[in-house]
Amino acid sequence: MGWLIDLVPLDYSDAVVVLGAMLLGITAGAVGVLAVLRQRSLVGDALAHAALPGVCIAFIATGAKDATSLLAGAAIAGLVGALLMVGIERTGRIRPDAAIGVVLSSFFSLGIVLLTYIASTDNSNQAGLEKYLFGQAAGLLERDLAVMAGLAIVALTLVAIGFRALKTTLFDPAFAGAVGLPVRLLEIAMTALLVVAIVIGLRMVGAILMVAMLVAPAVAARQLAGRLALVIPLAAVIGAAVGVSGALLASRAEIPTGPVIVLVAVSVVIVCVLIAPRRGVLWRARRLARDRRRILAEGVLVDLETAIHAGPPLTAAELALASARPARALRRALRDLDRAGMLRRDGERLYLSQPGAAAAHAVLERRDLWAAWLEHGSRLGVPDAREPDPTDLRASLGDEYADRLHALARAAER
Amino acid sequence: MLDDDLTIILTAGLVATAAGLLGPFLVLRRVALMSDAVSHAVLPGIVLVYLLLGTRAPLPVIAGAALFAIICVLAIEALRSTGLVKSDAAIALVFPALFALGVLGVTRYASGVHLDLDSTIYGEIAFAPFRTLAIGELEIARSIVLLGAVALCNLALVTLLWKEYKATTFDPEFSRTIGIPPALLSRLLLIAVAITAVTAFESVGAILVVTMLIVPAAAAYLLTNRLWAMVVVTVAVGWVSALGGHAAATALDASIAGAMGLVAAICFALALVASPSHGLLARAVQRRRRQREIQAALGTVAR
Repeated sequence: MGWLIDLVPLDYSDAVVVLGAMLLGITAGAVGVLAVLRQRSLVGDALAHAALPGVCIAFIATGAKDATSLLAGAAIAGLVGALLMVGIERTGRIRPDAAIGVVLSSFFSLGIVLLTYIASTDNSNQAGLEKYLFGQAAGLLERDLAVMAGLAIVALTLVAIGFRALKTTLFDPAFAGAVGLPVRLLEIAMTALLVVAIVIGLRMVGAILMVAMLVAPAVAARQLAGRLALVIPLAAVIGAAVGVSGALLASRAEIPTGPVIVLVAVSVVIVCVLIAPRRGVLWRARRLARDRRRILAEGVLVDLETAIHAGPPLTAAELALASARPARALRRALRDLDRAGMLRRDGERLYLSQPGAAAAHAVLERRDLWAAWLEHGSRLGVPDAREPDPTDLRASLGDEYADRLHALARAAER
Repeated sequence: MLDDDLTIILTAGLVATAAGLLGPFLVLRRVALMSDAVSHAVLPGIVLVYLLLGTRAPLPVIAGAALFAIICVLAIEALRSTGLVKSDAAIALVFPALFALGVLGVTRYASGVHLDLDSTIYGEIAFAPFRTLAIGELEIARSIVLLGAVALCNLALVTLLWKEYKATTFDPEFSRTIGIPPALLSRLLLIAVAITAVTAFESVGAILVVTMLIVPAAAAYLLTNRLWAMVVVTVAVGWVSALGGHAAATALDASIAGAMGLVAAICFALALVASPSHGLLARAVQRRRRQREIQAALGTVAR
């Protein structure tokens, strides 16, 4: 890993932390998608608690704080806990969140009882056992980087090889079973992958950072992409970016690395939730406002058109009275129409300009067509069973069907 | 003056009651892990109280913790209500962020002060009898007074808004159409959870509260299909865990909170295996019977 560390223009210890955060971000981002999409986002939190009895039993068995055996104990306890979660869910009644909660609290309770037992045996080695499992991002070593790089490669390879099967199992387990995929095996494989990634992550960077790194990149990527084949690599990239930027920020400001990465990750999620194209809260709000404004302007346009046919052109005040719209909305619609060049003014009186009249006729034609579709659409015998787009019926039905609809409507009027 | 063992059992029983009244709703609304999130999210509140007031006295610390517990549940609810993030992911985003804020606060402004969750807010149920309040002539454990008050508040909340909570839990769309605001009720419930959790952390420690909010309710969900029965069974399982856990802890000389959690877990496992309606055994028997019926039906057709 030496050459990789040399590539980073930072001093040695900072470079190790930055690279570690990046590798962790890649792995956690990719496998986190599998957890988040199955509504098991908190599996990292649960395994952080579930590992405690494993650590205790390994300590009781070996009588020493040996890193390998404690980590193996934690991994085995984590795997047992994760399989119990899956098993409890499979019985059908208990949902993932409750299953995770039950496993979390029972394993941790068992761990506490085992801790009191260990304390009563007077083994002088036992101090700090409950904290042993949890590392800190700032304490990463070069040796850890190799483990993390290996983990990242294994995780990404497994996800890539099993992608189609994983996708089917994730979104439709019943269908996956019906087409002969080994659903149980895949579920166990996914869980095992998660457990290994989480336990290693816990030991190196601690529980809270691990929980956030599993979930945040996956949620952010989900806002930006709608296909699993894009979400997983995107989550890995976001994870890496968040890890690197958080670690750099922390070393610049000389504050703890883990919390900074968590805060950066959560901020990225908040930004994505707000402004993600087509999904984001602000994006949807803006589209809604724009649609409302357009529909209001169209309504006023039609009001003017009908008023012109009924009698002398109206003033703005008369229009307000006739259309019963709030004065502010009306002023705004008139301003929009003015700006689009659809109005002509003669003193106080309002006329439609050439393009304005054309636009009004287009709106009326659309409305007529929609009314005709609602009343006679069933008699049309459209070959496509999907609902057509109500905002532009002519384009989605095609001219031929639209003309036939008009003909049907005229025939019914007679 | 109460006997020490009795105080411990009563404290745990009151936690079981207060949590058992809310737990079923959390499990049914699929936000069972809210309690675990709250247990981490209170750290910045404690840090803030220390930075502003320079104290670690219990009452201001509880107030600060409660403030951030409420911020936590409301942030989760807000994130969830965008419809873009599932509730489990919302929980897993909010509490690490708050905890990280707390850690930053400790290392930046309060380093050198011993300020971590274990020592400031997470109590130990074994010490409950030693922290007492004097009410008139009577000297009584503080935990019993605090938790009793919280349990009463929860009882009032659940009984007064029973109909509303039933409707919003099972069918939020329907309750909106009949004029019950689901979002408001959800927020109120989560605030009650936050206050219950923070009060109970201080008396009995975090893990027992998390356990009492989730495990008895999950066990009860396996045993009954009626909401009121679920609440009653949840509280009952909680009390059984309190009594059994205390007995086991005394016999084995183990951690009281841990033993109570284990008894609750055993209750859940029993329900999972032996529940007459949803248990593994009952379902296996049912499956076998249906298999035999189908085979019999096929046999008559073949003949």
